[in-house]
Amino acid sequence: MMVVNSWKRVALWCFVIFALILIIAPFIWIIGISLKYQIAIITGQFPFDVTWVNYERVLFGKSSDFLLNMFNSLVVAVISTTLVLIIATLAAYSLAWRTMSGLFKMGFLAWTLIFNIIPPITLVGPWYVIFSDLGLYNTLTALVMTHIVINLPMAIWLMMTAFGTIPRDLESAAIMDGCRRTTAFRLVLLPLVKPGMIAAGLLAFVFSWSEFGIALNLTAKETMTIPVAIASYAGQYEINHGEMAAAAVLSSLPAILLMFLGQKFIVRGLTAGSVK
Amino acid sequence: MKKLNKFLKGMAVSAIALTSVNSAFAADPITILINNSPWYGGFEALVEKYEAETGNKVNIDRTPYSGVLEKVRNSVRGDTSPYDLVNLDNGWIIEFYSGGFLTPLTNIDPDFKLSDEIIDNGEAIYWNSEKQWPTKEGGKLMAFSPNGNAHMWYYRSDLIDTPPATYKDILKNCAANHNPPNTYGAVLRGERGNPIRFSFMPHMLTHGGSILKDPKNGDFTITFNSPENLKALNMFLKIHNECSADNPGAIGQGEMIQLVLSGKAAQAGIVIAAQAQMDNPEKSAVVGKINYAQMPYLEGGSPHGVFGSWQMAVPNNISDGRKTAALEFIKYFISEKAQTLYAEAGGIPIHTGVLRGPLATQEKFRWMKPYAAVAENATQVLMYKEGAEVEQIIGLRLNQALIGELTASEALNVAAKEIYNVLAAAGRDTKLGNSLMIK
Amino acid sequence: MKNFTVKKLPSLERLWEFIDSHFIFVAILPAVIIFLLFTIYPAIELVLMSGSSITFENAELIREPALEKNIVKFLDDWIFRKALVNTLIFVLLSTSIEMLFGFGLALAVNELVRGRGIVRTTMLLPILIPPVAIGSIWRLMYNSEFGVINAFLELFGIPAQQFLGSTSTALLSVVVVDIWHWTPLVFLILLAGLEALPEEVMEASSIDGATYNQKLRFIIIPLMWPALIVAFMFRSIVAFKVFDQIFLLTSGGPGTSTEVISLYVYKVFFQQNQLGYGALLALITIGIICSYLAVFAIAQRKFTGAK
Repeated sequence: MMVVNSWKRVALWCFVIFALILIIAPFIWIIGISLKYQIAIITGQFPFDVTWVNYERVLFGKSSDFLLNMFNSLVVAVISTTLVLIIATLAAYSLAWRTMSGLFKMGFLAWTLIFNIIPPITLVGPWYVIFSDLGLYNTLTALVMTHIVINLPMAIWLMMTAFGTIPRDLESAAIMDGCRRTTAFRLVLLPLVKPGMIAAGLLAFVFSWSEFGIALNLTAKETMTIPVAIASYAGQYEINHGEMAAAAVLSSLPAILLMFLGQKFIVRGLTAGSVK
Repeated sequence: MKKLNKFLKGMAVSAIALTSVNSAFAADPITILINNSPWYGGFEALVEKYEAETGNKVNIDRTPYSGVLEKVRNSVRGDTSPYDLVNLDNGWIIEFYSGGFLTPLTNIDPDFKLSDEIIDNGEAIYWNSEKQWPTKEGGKLMAFSPNGNAHMWYYRSDLIDTPPATYKDILKNCAANHNPPNTYGAVLRGERGNPIRFSFMPHMLTHGGSILKDPKNGDFTITFNSPENLKALNMFLKIHNECSADNPGAIGQGEMIQLVLSGKAAQAGIVIAAQAQMDNPEKSAVVGKINYAQMPYLEGGSPHGVFGSWQMAVPNNISDGRKTAALEFIKYFISEKAQTLYAEAGGIPIHTGVLRGPLATQEKFRWMKPYAAVAENATQVLMYKEGAEVEQIIGLRLNQALIGELTASEALNVAAKEIYNVLAAAGRDTKLGNSLMIK
Repeated sequence: MKNFTVKKLPSLERLWEFIDSHFIFVAILPAVIIFLLFTIYPAIELVLMSGSSITFENAELIREPALEKNIVKFLDDWIFRKALVNTLIFVLLSTSIEMLFGFGLALAVNELVRGRGIVRTTMLLPILIPPVAIGSIWRLMYNSEFGVINAFLELFGIPAQQFLGSTSTALLSVVVVDIWHWTPLVFLILLAGLEALPEEVMEASSIDGATYNQKLRFIIIPLMWPALIVAFMFRSIVAFKVFDQIFLLTSGGPGTSTEVISLYVYKVFFQQNQLGYGALLALITIGIICSYLAVFAIAQRKFTGAK
């Protein structure tokens, strides 16, 4: 980018930091809640006595399987995100560049879109039937598959716009140079759609990580994911805000770390392969 | 992909295997689907005791409230239910009773019978399939209850000397303690939907009101816009407007309990399940200061309790061995000994012997005696298939009356008309009764 | 061992060759298979259900044709109409504000030389928190007695507000939560778009001495148009489907002031177990969202065409 004078840079940073504060403020408030007793929470006490009891209960409490829940969420989110990225990038390449039958293309895209619109509550019943017939009810496999299905549409559309900005002669030039089409795809095209992959990957990850409605119905004790476990704190007669907040904070830390590493991986991994 | 499936499946299977080591036990292992709740700890403690004493194996799938209904539907509608006992909110039972999804307990063991000391949730644990009504008379025993959960009147014993009984007492206490925004005289739920509908029911009943004339015997004539209900609604609104916080239409369970726990509310109508929080210093600023009474009633009348009960039942689509094992657990659960343990571990017993026994004299269990009195006389409403629809109608119209979008009589009239439409469309024998107020 | 590999190689080679020459089809195959497997059955179920009334007797499902009955019911359904109006207000307000904020923020962050990864990751915090926690925690923040927002306003001498308790502010309060929750999504999609813009174009325009505004108007926005549209489309869909937050914050009240379509479909389909009518409402919802997107697509084509 061109040289931006320092004046502008300061203003820019101020704006970004201001926005970040607005976004983070409620999260900081959640951290605050996680350090309070319930009575201090519901009376909005400030300043307050700090307690770690909520974290203790979430991590080591008798009726809490938090580490197992975390493990389940990680497995489901990582595997489904990886698969979504692979499947969506391939599909988007095909849809964005290759003029296959226009009808098929339109039909497929419309279908993904419509499917994205269907109220999830109407899907849960049929999916229960499918997965219990396959013997996959209450398995992480079932959850991985459903998360792939719900996250694919957005990933495909995002990757299509990413492929849309690449000049097409790049690929033909590479093939003329004696490259395989698959190699050209891997070495020439993929590095160029990196930003798209990062965005699609991050979104697939967070959507899988916080997905609630399907996980609620297709999992039980051993396969329960974080959002379902967190919902357990919100009972009909009592909302355990403190433990809920502690669980939310604990669960977002590894997710943040993982997303950060994931971005690095995509950036490095694809740059290394670049022939540009 | 296949490898991955295998891997994930293997992992899940091994996880399941870890939790269900079952070799040489007397009864089949059973799995219970239950919601998370303040009394869950008591239930879990009892299950552990049962396992230790009998050597039988019990798995618990503790699911957030919002997920229980769909899981029950999926499991009983499928080929084989993964659950041997499912816990049902009283608003859901008719769907499963009438749909033929559950096994009457007397089909498993013809000699099985509940003692008179077991609270039957206003007969909601029986089902008369001919009448299509939950009643003991001609009905079969379908379920047992892990918590009758009747509506109680919570009050601050440090501010109010004599237990309030009638509306006169309530309003007197309200006047003496209403000092907004620091304290509120009495708080009721007013949030749209189930909260305000449920909250209104005891007031409607004690004023002699009703929703339908005699649905138990097939007469679905609408009585919701009767003069009695108008009186009840006016009283209900009066308490809301004169004694509660200034956003009564947004007060749900959470807000109401919050106001009590923080010491801001002098009185409130809450189900018994919330009792456990009151004496917990981590959660409450009013430890030892809350006492319990029956719901208020009219001068010269009698109190009318309403259940927000839970029922636990055995699905049809499981093997006989599993059914027998489920019943064995039930028999254990309702014994006086187990019920005592249940209460001590934080459960709400359904055995009146326990509720009126030695435990009840302890300060900690001061809720037991008033609760026993309520639970023995409380009733159920909306016990028909269209109940959920009727609830939505009442829950919206009452809320509109509360926030001033409708007058009390408009709310009742409009709701009556809409309830009529729903029941007529469902083919019920219904008419708009001699609706006295339609202008 | 050696023999084995040697034997295998040619067929592997042939496989690669096959993939190479049919890459277009091979590439899209996994996506098509996934969709065929997991979406056809639910979709057919939904369509079948919408024309019937479904009851259960002796644990058997009984399906009776009731298309006409369901349609009559729909024509009479004032709550759905009210929910539709609320939903449209909600969608228009939240998506337009989120697009504006998200794009502005993406433009700013794109100018940053370092720190992008951190900003991008931190911005995702709101989407990482499960919806149930978001609902309960914002309800606590909005609380009129003890809520932090009222406490904050009090510092400036503003009296306590009934954010969720008044019919005039409830919907707006819900929109605010939505903006907080979903602006990061828009930001992320648009930042990805900006990063992918060919550098040569951007640099060339800077050399030409164009002001930032000119650059934005004549270069960035036209180039970003597809990304903007995708962001808008998905934001609109998610906004139309808004459920968890409203369910937990207000359950559609007070009165019907925050009743939205998805909440109503949930009540009918799930709580009242009216599978047939609920399915019809779900299909109608799909139709409404599709026509909304179609109207938008036509409008934007006209608009960009006229340019």
